[in-house]
Amino acid sequence: MTDAAMEISGVTPDRFTRGSRLVDALSKAGLAFAILAVMLYGSFVSPAFFTSGNLLNVLTSMSIVGIVVVGMTFVLVVGGLADLSVPATIACGAILSLGLQPMIGPLPAFVLAVGLAGLIGLLNGVLVGYVGINPIIATLGIGTIGLGIVQAAVGGVIVYGSNPASAEFAKGRLFGIPVVVLIFLLIALIGHFVLSRSFWGRWTLATGGNYSAAEASAVPVQAVKAGAFVITALASGISGGLLGLTLQSARPLIGAGYEFSAITAVVVGGVSIIGGFGSVPRAIAGLIFVQLLTNVMVLGGVRTPIQGFVLGILIVGAVGMDAALRKRGVA
Amino acid sequence: MRFLALASRHRVVIILGLTLIISALVVPGYFSASTLGLGLDRAATIGLIAIGLTVLLIAGQIDLSGGAVFALAGIVSVILQREIGILPAAIVGILAGMLAGAINGALVVGLKVNSLVLTLATMLIFRSLAHWITNSQPVSGADIMLSLALAKIYLDVFTIRSALFIILIVLLHVWLTRTIPGRNVFAVGSNPAAAKESGIASDRIVFLGFVFAGTLAGLAGVLQSLVTNTGSPVFGSELTVAVIAAVVVGGTRLGGGRGSALGTLGGVLTIGSLTIAMEFQSVPAYVQQVVSGLILILLVVLDRAVTTKGRAPGTRPALVRDNPITQGGNT
Repeated sequence: MTDAAMEISGVTPDRFTRGSRLVDALSKAGLAFAILAVMLYGSFVSPAFFTSGNLLNVLTSMSIVGIVVVGMTFVLVVGGLADLSVPATIACGAILSLGLQPMIGPLPAFVLAVGLAGLIGLLNGVLVGYVGINPIIATLGIGTIGLGIVQAAVGGVIVYGSNPASAEFAKGRLFGIPVVVLIFLLIALIGHFVLSRSFWGRWTLATGGNYSAAEASAVPVQAVKAGAFVITALASGISGGLLGLTLQSARPLIGAGYEFSAITAVVVGGVSIIGGFGSVPRAIAGLIFVQLLTNVMVLGGVRTPIQGFVLGILIVGAVGMDAALRKRGVA
Repeated sequence: MRFLALASRHRVVIILGLTLIISALVVPGYFSASTLGLGLDRAATIGLIAIGLTVLLIAGQIDLSGGAVFALAGIVSVILQREIGILPAAIVGILAGMLAGAINGALVVGLKVNSLVLTLATMLIFRSLAHWITNSQPVSGADIMLSLALAKIYLDVFTIRSALFIILIVLLHVWLTRTIPGRNVFAVGSNPAAAKESGIASDRIVFLGFVFAGTLAGLAGVLQSLVTNTGSPVFGSELTVAVIAAVVVGGTRLGGGRGSALGTLGGVLTIGSLTIAMEFQSVPAYVQQVVSGLILILLVVLDRAVTTKGRAPGTRPALVRDNPITQGGNT
């Protein structure tokens, strides 16, 4: 996977990565070391850490965030900073896939919910890619509007599921592995393939690496940029739908905080916040680290606010390190 | 396009006029002094934060953590009341806001990170701190009579809070248009490199801009907590979009280098009267969010449509690639 990433970034005018193979290797080793350290610490702190029940729980909750992380990787790599409309798209996926069940059946409801989430992403994409609005402002605004509309549509109340069979499916296991985890792995594989092996991925890396050069090389930069936001919205829609189905209830604020979890995972994984560099496996390694850390904190009895605090510090640290390392890479 | 440019330049007047007309139609007795006074008092909270954000946006930066600082400062001022008295506690609350701003500023200047991303992270940190300190419970102050005194209306229109807002906005207007440091803020925002070449200490101005924004958000939070006699970790979470919308309505450009205090006054009054009109019609909070989100997006799109006019296709400034680390927001 890493070789592939290097190859691809070799295609783009990589003013960031050239001459920084050492930095690259160090950051990768650092991440692996951090994951191992957290696991080691976890096994000391709590005997419950290395039980299959706990690890399975981590894996399941990781999968829900992970689906968003795959999309968010595209947004960061294309130079789109971040997508703050994730809570809205998750709520859209969860509320609609439960709320529409009585009317049109579970599967069409799920598909429609994901489709409408994708529509929110399309709005983001058009504003960012074609109109040229700052991504954070655009997604903040569209997210506020989308969440408001979803809340208005259900009257601001909690929606409950009415189809036990779909709940069974979402909570079920295949070959002993939770279905949600399998769906996450599938989406991660597709995302990795698209980003590292397909023309779309090359265009995404090129657009993020050097917008003007990519534009001059006839890359459809505006569409590529917009596409990243559509991908994120579709992914969050799926994630929200699965979340709704597993919980069998959906509040309008069900997706609050997921945008930060996803952004933290991606930047901790070493995907550059200024674009042009990154891969799905890196982001997932970041996700594993953050999720294990959170799990260890929960097992150690650390209260929820402190976890948010730690996430914030991790983002600042990762972004600061990114800025420092990239600059060295240029020189 | 010429019409759009004209409309964009005078939009504060147009939008404020339209809002006032609509409000007057919806709310009977809207122009009575007591209703106006109430509206002004409500707008003052948004307004105080908007004053700080206006300076930051002109300097080419942004602060998304205002709402969290607002909550944190309020909590600090309420919790300390019993220990050190009401006035010292309020001062410490404002100092806490100042400190939060200094942290933002030091990190943005020191790490050379995009302020959008950085203040997103510090927003999470400050919000978590607020939850941490209060155990996620609202806290109440020592003296309930004080809040009555603060809510008292003088001269039929002004409360202490709204009078403070009006005085500060006039001072800001004078400072921005009549003093050298004020002019320097515009220089830093429109072209940081050129400003530096001309001997302006860009970094210092940016840092002080963040300190100023943090202090104002802290002041707004302390006043809110004193008026309601409560400090709550969830205060101000809906303020971010409203404040940015108010400033953008006022004609301040997200890209930096353009904006005015009087424009912000108009924007704040617009958002304030919209809120009053919608609350009078008992429009649910989430619909109000949709409205402020829509205003924000529409105006940012309008700005974009006007500023890209007259450039040859293809020479459009690349969105995020234009030196995104050292500069903060780009429209």
